[in-house]
Amino acid sequence: MDGEQKNSPLSDVKVLDFTGELGPYAAKMYAGLGAEVIHLEPITGDPLRKKRPFYKEEEDNMEASLQFLYYNGNKKSLVVDLNKEEGKQIFLRLIESIDIFMESCVPGYLDSLGLSYERLKGINPKLVQTSITPYGSTGPYEDYPGSDLTCSAMGGFLYLAGVGNDKPVRACDNQAYRMAEAYASVGSSIALLHARRTGQGQFVDVSAMESVGMALENAAQYWDLEGVIRRGRGKEAGVGTIHPCKDGYIVVAATMGKNKIMWDMFAKWMKNENVEEWEVFEDPKWIDPSYRESEEGYATFCRIFQRFTIKYDKAVLYEKGQAHRVALTPLNNGKDLLENPQLKYRKFWQTIEHENLGGEITYPGAPYEFGEMEWRFGLPAPKFGEHTVQVLEELNYSKDDIEAFSKEGIIHV
Amino acid sequence: MSDFGKALEGLVVCDFSWVGAGPITTNVLGQCGAEIIKIESTKRPDILRRGGPFKDGISEGFERSGYFANRNPNKKCISLNMNLPQAREVAIRLIEKSDIVINNFRVGQMEKWNLGWEDIKKINPRIIFVTMSLQGTDGPHKSYMGFGVNLNALCGLTIQAGNPGEMPFGTGTNYTDHVMVPSHTLFGIMAALLQREKTGLGQTVAISQLESAIAMKPLDSMVYASNGKNLGPMGCSDLNAAPHGVYETLGYRKWLAIAVSTDDEWVRFKKVMENPSWAEDEKFATFSSRKENEDELNAYVEAWTKDKYATKLMKQLLAGGVKAGLVNDARAAVEDEDLIERNFWSYLDHPEVGLTLYNRVPIMFSETPCEMKTAAPLLGEHTDEVLTGFLGYTNEELAQLKAEDVLT
Repeated sequence: MDGEQKNSPLSDVKVLDFTGELGPYAAKMYAGLGAEVIHLEPITGDPLRKKRPFYKEEEDNMEASLQFLYYNGNKKSLVVDLNKEEGKQIFLRLIESIDIFMESCVPGYLDSLGLSYERLKGINPKLVQTSITPYGSTGPYEDYPGSDLTCSAMGGFLYLAGVGNDKPVRACDNQAYRMAEAYASVGSSIALLHARRTGQGQFVDVSAMESVGMALENAAQYWDLEGVIRRGRGKEAGVGTIHPCKDGYIVVAATMGKNKIMWDMFAKWMKNENVEEWEVFEDPKWIDPSYRESEEGYATFCRIFQRFTIKYDKAVLYEKGQAHRVALTPLNNGKDLLENPQLKYRKFWQTIEHENLGGEITYPGAPYEFGEMEWRFGLPAPKFGEHTVQVLEELNYSKDDIEAFSKEGIIHV
Repeated sequence: MSDFGKALEGLVVCDFSWVGAGPITTNVLGQCGAEIIKIESTKRPDILRRGGPFKDGISEGFERSGYFANRNPNKKCISLNMNLPQAREVAIRLIEKSDIVINNFRVGQMEKWNLGWEDIKKINPRIIFVTMSLQGTDGPHKSYMGFGVNLNALCGLTIQAGNPGEMPFGTGTNYTDHVMVPSHTLFGIMAALLQREKTGLGQTVAISQLESAIAMKPLDSMVYASNGKNLGPMGCSDLNAAPHGVYETLGYRKWLAIAVSTDDEWVRFKKVMENPSWAEDEKFATFSSRKENEDELNAYVEAWTKDKYATKLMKQLLAGGVKAGLVNDARAAVEDEDLIERNFWSYLDHPEVGLTLYNRVPIMFSETPCEMKTAAPLLGEHTDEVLTGFLGYTNEELAQLKAEDVLT
């Protein structure tokens, strides 16, 4: 591949990605480290192509869904109709050379096509097949239809995003799906290492509802050890509380538990700024979590601290707080992140030209850095069926075969 | 079951990490068969040992925290007072026999102990050396401090999690610590291990917690760069669905999540509601009109749900092909039949607090299943065993190190 660059560690790994709204980030993680990832799409197209938001709000352009473009960057698009016999044959021929087959089909769907894991394993015993589904491929809920919101709710994660009797609020970017994908990616890599060492492939089952269970923090243990049902944090004064400022909001962690050193730094900062009533923060009662949790504690904190914060922009408060070793950070939005000096310094954002869309798209960059390997964004996400011909040619189908398949609607080229 | 044992059997992890994302990372490796040796000290215990909840609400000592426990099952713990120079010799012996060294200290701490990558690769060139800085190891904000709640805010999660017109709320947790950061760290480690199979050499794996978090929530900045718009707080709504939300049902804090996206799903949803006349209004005829009139639509849906039992309604909706799910609290999740059936939860026996609750990694391997073996270790529980067994210290040497206060 890129000879002059550091190694692409996964350049000898081939991934077949048959996912849609749920699943695509898992294979993207492989694509970022140089694996060949073939994104298999049904003849009607990956449903993610039709999902908002769109580049320049071009709602009817199936090449313009920003979600599709991000999650399928550096993948190839192969469009095959698996309902047709010849389509199945193409799929089976492809499976012979695949290391990891990721899919987010409804449990039982592939079996109903005669493409069960047992059959695929017979063709390729080293195959790792990773199934990413809302509720897992076995168990009482396997047939339940699910969405990001229902998985987030059922797993106990959503409930935490609120206090008192408030309805919970939702995290952005379909986090239940993202969690499942992240763990599917990890599980597949562990199974791949095992397969490389032993020759033995396996079936890896990842449930989004279960993945959500990784994000309960200590809520399950609060129930188990103390019989307490906890909800969200956010009303204990100065312990990750959100406060308005001149141009938005900031969050401050002025202490944790009974940490006096942290609190003293915060109190000193308030004194240095000569905030009205700063002396109140010197009282030792602030080291006691029960005071900070009290209504009086929270209200007092907000009254004094916000008198100060409301005068400044979030970026200014960030600098001032950090200079006093106080864990204060801004609530960034999309624009703030693009302009963030740290991310700019690190050249995090990747701008890719999309000729077919007549413009550039900005994407998040490398999530990690290695001593001897390199992450890269790679090529833009594929157009619908862009690589069908290339993949079939590599499978030794003739030009005539390919033309005939295309005519019969078995493939889209 | 595999004849080959567990997937990561034979791997040894020298684990300097503490609190959140680091221990969650090594927890996954441990459940997959790696040997995790956690380094602590009574002088510098993992501070999560002091974080609630505590067994029966009693917070004394270092061994009652469930917060700590759930991140640290299947690990061995040695106490090693890294402030003393003799401790470095013990660490080196461990590093010689390890595959992975991981820490999530502030940038520079390992170097202070002369255990940075430049030192470690001389000790063992096969080591995968993992660091987890908050915002990267260079740049103007490299030394800025923050916790999970700070990172949630920095990466753009918090501002979008709230109700329109109200203060943002966030996830209510240190979310980034739990999935975004550990999963990327794990994938980085696995890629480095796969590479080592070919080269025989280790390398550094450096995670920026901020950058790995953003990779799992790309849209806010992509949309701003493309369309000049900031994505605001969205309650429980979704750009691609309506109705989509959590709706009141009978009982205390009982909500039902319902997600209706396609026209087919809308037709099925109406059918379960027995086709009420309001649902036939033109305002709700197409996806875009439902989206435009979403507040009104949600009010109608809630009027339908609020005098019904969530469990019963969920079954009806699922049977009718509509996506619906209970907003479970932790108790309901712990008692959930699917999670129980799939052995997501385990009770592990601990010498001080007895049988307590843990969850396994959300990955089910057909041939090399994860295993929940032992409860979280006591502070220093395995010091003698690891030093005399694994590291080959004699009893005399062990006694000497203890006398010098190295193993406290």
